[in-house]
Amino acid sequence: MPDGNAGRSGSLPAMSESDAGRRAGWRLLRASLRAERRAMIKGSISGLIWTIAKVAVPLLALEAINRGVSSSQHGALLWWSLALVGTGAVQAVTTGLRRFQAFSMAFRVETDLRERLFAHLQRLHFSFHDRSQTGQLLARSASDLQQVNGLMIMLPISVANVTIVSGVAVILLIITWRLALLTLVALPLLNIVAKQFSARIHPASLGLQTELAELSVLAEETVSGVRVVKGFGAEPIFASRMRQRADAVYGRALQVVRVRANYLPVLDFIPAVGVTAVVWYGGHQALSHHLSIGAFTAFYLYVLLLINPLRLTGQLVAQAQRAVAAAERIDQILETEPAIIDAAVPVKLPPGGGEVVFEDVSFRYDAAAVASVLNGFDLVIQPGEAVALVGATGSGKTTVAKLLPRFYDVTAGRITLDGVDLRDLRLRELRRAVSMVFEDTFLFTDTVRDNIAFADPEASDDEVEQAARLAGAHEFIVELEDGYNTIIGERGFSLSGGQRQRLALARAIIANPRVLILDDATSAVDPTKEHEIRGALQQVMAGRTTIVIAHRPATIALADRVVLLREGRVVVQGTHEELLATSAAYREVLARADPADALAGAD
Amino acid sequence: MGQLRPADPIDEADRLDREAAALVVRRVLRFLRPYQAEMILGLVVMVGATACLIAPPVLFGWVIDRVTSTKPHHGVGGYIDRVAIVVGVVSVLAWILSRAQIRIVTRIGEKFLRDMRRRVFDHLLGMSLGFFDTEQTGRLVSRMTSDIDTMEDLVQQGLVIFVTNGLLFVFTVAVMIWLSWMLAAFCLLAVPGVAIASVWFRRHSNQAYLHVRDTVGQTLSSLQEGLSGVRVVQAFTREDAVVRRFSQRNRAQRDANISATRISCYYFPVVEGSGVLTAAVVVGVGGILVHQGSIPVGTIGTFMLFLTNLFEPINQISQLFNLVQQAGAGLNKVYGLLDTVSPIQERPGAVDLPPGGAVVLDHVSFSYGPDLPPVLSDVSVTIAPGERLALVGPTGAGKSTLAKLVARFYDPLTGRVSLGETDLRDATLASLRRQIVVVPQEGHLFGGSIADNVRLGRADASDDDVAAALQALGAYDRFACLPEGLNTEVSERGTRLSAGERQLVSLARAFLSDPRVLILDEATSSLDPGTEVEVEQAVEALMAGRTVIVVAHRLSTAQRADRVAVVDAGGIIEIGTHDELVAHEGRYAALFASWVGGLGGAEAAAPSVHEAPRPRRRFSQGRQRRVAGPASGSASSK
Repeated sequence: MPDGNAGRSGSLPAMSESDAGRRAGWRLLRASLRAERRAMIKGSISGLIWTIAKVAVPLLALEAINRGVSSSQHGALLWWSLALVGTGAVQAVTTGLRRFQAFSMAFRVETDLRERLFAHLQRLHFSFHDRSQTGQLLARSASDLQQVNGLMIMLPISVANVTIVSGVAVILLIITWRLALLTLVALPLLNIVAKQFSARIHPASLGLQTELAELSVLAEETVSGVRVVKGFGAEPIFASRMRQRADAVYGRALQVVRVRANYLPVLDFIPAVGVTAVVWYGGHQALSHHLSIGAFTAFYLYVLLLINPLRLTGQLVAQAQRAVAAAERIDQILETEPAIIDAAVPVKLPPGGGEVVFEDVSFRYDAAAVASVLNGFDLVIQPGEAVALVGATGSGKTTVAKLLPRFYDVTAGRITLDGVDLRDLRLRELRRAVSMVFEDTFLFTDTVRDNIAFADPEASDDEVEQAARLAGAHEFIVELEDGYNTIIGERGFSLSGGQRQRLALARAIIANPRVLILDDATSAVDPTKEHEIRGALQQVMAGRTTIVIAHRPATIALADRVVLLREGRVVVQGTHEELLATSAAYREVLARADPADALAGAD
Repeated sequence: MGQLRPADPIDEADRLDREAAALVVRRVLRFLRPYQAEMILGLVVMVGATACLIAPPVLFGWVIDRVTSTKPHHGVGGYIDRVAIVVGVVSVLAWILSRAQIRIVTRIGEKFLRDMRRRVFDHLLGMSLGFFDTEQTGRLVSRMTSDIDTMEDLVQQGLVIFVTNGLLFVFTVAVMIWLSWMLAAFCLLAVPGVAIASVWFRRHSNQAYLHVRDTVGQTLSSLQEGLSGVRVVQAFTREDAVVRRFSQRNRAQRDANISATRISCYYFPVVEGSGVLTAAVVVGVGGILVHQGSIPVGTIGTFMLFLTNLFEPINQISQLFNLVQQAGAGLNKVYGLLDTVSPIQERPGAVDLPPGGAVVLDHVSFSYGPDLPPVLSDVSVTIAPGERLALVGPTGAGKSTLAKLVARFYDPLTGRVSLGETDLRDATLASLRRQIVVVPQEGHLFGGSIADNVRLGRADASDDDVAAALQALGAYDRFACLPEGLNTEVSERGTRLSAGERQLVSLARAFLSDPRVLILDEATSSLDPGTEVEVEQAVEALMAGRTVIVVAHRLSTAQRADRVAVVDAGGIIEIGTHDELVAHEGRYAALFASWVGGLGGAEAAAPSVHEAPRPRRRFSQGRQRRVAGPASGSASSK
């Protein structure tokens, strides 16, 4: 789908606003159902048999009372009772089957959509992820999938419910149409009221959930900032904030209660109108022998039988609306095309030493942005050369680094690796050849070993250890409780920033790339330990094209050449010493970055 | 009905034993005493509503009896009219009463939850800092949130369903027995079966949903990790492997869900089947009883209509059981927290602290726990009004503890801490917090605007006061120039403040509260270069004219103080002016010498005494070891 819906991604519309979007939502749901048509058919068939059994019970009771009870025939009594037992058995078995099909189908659809979403998100370009926040994506997909699941569960039973309603209506009309009309006239209201209830209760409980979340934010920040709260004696302020929050939750909860109190008793009252009609008109008809006692009872039983199907079909409509809106949002993500993809006819990367050429490169992160980050950026990096990019925040040095593995595509100009335009290479091949170590390292919840071997799961233990040694990580790894088998990451053992960065470095080393990019990759390493990995860095950089983004002069000094950037252009280049001696701009940038280290580096 | 979603499972460990459950119930009842009248009203309404629900089938049975009776039929038409009117009236009554019952019962429940939230929060705010040092933030927060929130579902729907279904079952059985005890006995035959099935179902589905919960958690974290690590995944082109791994967990979740479903697919047939089976019994056995003349035909009609009232309540109550147990477990934890008493309490008859006077530590000893080694032993020191005392020493030596005792974050084990000759333990907590303020190392900000954050120093401060405080510290312009000025929300994305800016807000907060005694914990790490100088100036402005105890990490700070105390091994080992201590040639002199020596005489920067890692490189290796020796390797202080 084109960009028609892009602007809406921020808020979550309760219902789709555009027909195109709604159609897309339906399309997705239909496709999911098509994949599950066997389960849908099985569920519907068992649902129909269940329906027949359920509808038969009052009829059998009718006959049993008329022929068995009223006629004083023991044999007939036994026969009709046994018929009821048999019907009960059928009803029991089919209700189990119907439920199983419905639920397992719904879970399969949900699982399948979740997997598709995840796989698609994994392939979407960086700028998509820059725009959408992880948390939002997560919350969105979780609640959207739940809505779809909710609809799927209801579908097979809805087929049964519609059958029950029409079947019962026909039966009642056949028995005595006047009473049937009188009884049934109010019942459709059930459907309408149930639909309204479902539509009202949903936003009300969402409101309550939101308010509970707000309260939890307050509790969280108060407990984590309790030293400040108590240090200033600000307890009363926070107590009154909590009072307000608790009141707000109370208010929201009462809103939900009000919806319940307004609707649920009405839902019970509507069938009671039918019951009153049965008792009054049915009573008179039975008295005048126009209606048998069995039919009289059956009428009452049928009114009770209709309650749930009518309510559920009402809820189905509301649930379907929510599910379509949810499916529309899921579809929006699935229909977003990955912007960075392989060329139609990819070129094979020729053997080479990792020569990198930026030719008149311009770049802006957002097509709508006025200012470009890079403007006519030219740079040639020889095979095996180490180049340090230096510049103030916003000068474009990190952008230069991110363009090389094609995390983004250039807006104008081109970048070549060993003579080939990056866009002509297979992504897999390119990123195999270009490794980047990010400033904020991300480690997966996994063993140290698997984190290092991330780029190359086939790597042997020796290779992993060697990479760790090169990155200066081996020493602290062996001191961990389980060494290389220690689980780290978000839910594992937590490492210091410097340790994380060294693992990230090891992860890049093991990929053995032609071009290595270090984006401020040692910033969190304790300066006293940095000299230890400086040797390692030197070894890694030897004979490998390296781009270093750093603030510490000592690290910068490792590069063969330093390139000073400002506003997306090269200002001056040369060795660290040359620039230090000749460029005031260079000295100024270094000093601003870290005064203390600037002194140390100058020694 | 049957629309309740499968309740969250409950861990076996959380299940309360009989005694604990009884205690929780007693406490809840005591807590609800103010609502006694409302509760009785609620119960009466529920009884009324339930009676209205079961009246129509009985009335219906009577109509059948009149119609089928062999006696002459005159007057029966009028009877039917009257009964129909009663059925209509009862239905309207049921509407009104059940509306009232939902409102009354949930209102009480929601009030209970609201009071509980406030009470827990107030209790937490009243706890001493020592308590927060030992408890995990996450656990405390969940006392406030999830433990109470689990009751929300119960209050919103469960309570009404629980009570009305219980009443419905009891009333139905009673009326059945009254109409025909023999037929009732036959009908109740299936009840134990359904009850046993319900217990079986609850147990197995609980197990199954515990498993589902695990798999959901795993899928979720895999999802989360895949999304927040997406850049790394793409950088190393590992998309396929990550998707495969996610897919495994995702499918495990699906399979767990489906097996949980399977359990309910065994259970619900039992409930439905029992209903129809019992209908057969009513017709069969009832028919014979009618033939024998022991019951009228109408009774069979009434019984048929009653059958749903028999099995549905068992099913409903059984489904609610987990919810009830969870609420009990949550309440038990919450009460556990409420039972924890803060050691720092205001004494009865506490007095306001005098405005000013000397801070005196008199033979003070302290440890963080009865089994832990003392952090401070027998420390005595007097800090004159307006004096500036710097505490220096290795990490873990007790500097911060000493400072915290002066703020009465803890009480000393032995000895006393006093301000203006008033023992802090005899002072009102309000006056204590007004007179003595602690500015922590890192500027901690709360949700809200910059102005809101400054105003925490004094709740009744006007906007002008807030601006004036920032101005006095020379930080006003930095914030005023933001698009929304001091009303800028600090937590919003994109307007995050730098560490230095947060510190400035935190200092302004202290300035606004205008304490006599100021306790500063100097930041160990250096701030962003842009604000470093500003923060330093703001600290100077804040300290002017106050008694100051500063936990110093930089020698320049120590140098500017009136006196310096070297804290190590649980006591003050040296105290005096900077010059005195340098002349004394003790510990401090060695520190100072290493600083001056390492810097080659330069005085521009402000190097750290020890733990700040950055400037350490400038010390010669040998000196560093000597000076910073005790600091290295020790855990950071609380």
